Amino acid sequence: MAIQIILLCGLVIFSGLAILFKDLLKAALSLAVASLFLGIIFFRLGAPYAGVFEISVVAGLITVLFILTIALTKRGDEVTEARLVKLAFPVFFILFLVIDGLVMKSLLQKIPALPSGPEAGSFGQVLWQQRTFDLVAQIGVILAGVLAVLALFRKKEEDKDE
Amino acid sequence: MSNLWFLYLFFAALLIFIGIYCLLTMRNLIKLFIAVEVISKGVSLAIVATGAVKNNILLAQSLAITYIVVEVSLVATALALIINIYKKNKSLDVRLLSKLKG
Repeated sequence: MAIQIILLCGLVIFSGLAILFKDLLKAALSLAVASLFLGIIFFRLGAPYAGVFEISVVAGLITVLFILTIALTKRGDEVTEARLVKLAFPVFFILFLVIDGLVMKSLLQKIPALPSGPEAGSFGQVLWQQRTFDLVAQIGVILAGVLAVLALFRKKEEDKDE
Repeated sequence: MSNLWFLYLFFAALLIFIGIYCLLTMRNLIKLFIAVEVISKGVSLAIVATGAVKNNILLAQSLAITYIVVEVSLVATALALIINIYKKNKSLDVRLLSKLKG
């Protein structure tokens, strides 16, 4: 339990740092560390496949994409944020912390959730047999993402033709 | 069991709050996207934790993997969009986008 709380605190701290760092590179790396914490939490919750995906894809691939974008937009650091934003963050955070602690417990009793009960079969059976439609949708989403990226970078060639 | 569920959802709500705060207040497009990522971390934590507490971890795990795949696709598309916006405006300031006309 204590380790879980430390991991959850690490996740929140690095996520907070990711939005508070002015340097975008540091922010992207903080986000990767937060993903690492989340992956370890998934492992400890008994979800190793989700943990592997979280660490390899989110902490690895997405961080690389972020760093690539930051490198391609070098002057992006020059955007000035309002000073009040960083000063007000701790105040709002503590306020939300208190509200969250007070409200969440009573809220949980009212939210309907999945009925408790042991599951049958393995992860592979659940993923490939019960969630087959999800897998088809995932292929569609990946194709849509690839086509969108291709369409966004095709624009330059059209400009040359003109 | 309920205490454990409370703990995870408490932290998931904190992550979602951090993300929403950043989305509402910051101006840098990449920062805004980092905020979206933080929110998605909160959501995936809530999904897996609820699955673990309610003994539905296999289903929760498959949903989390689906969610991660959607997230990657979203990131790739959005970052390509951000690079295009930067090429056009020479800035990542989100306020410049208000000058767009359809």
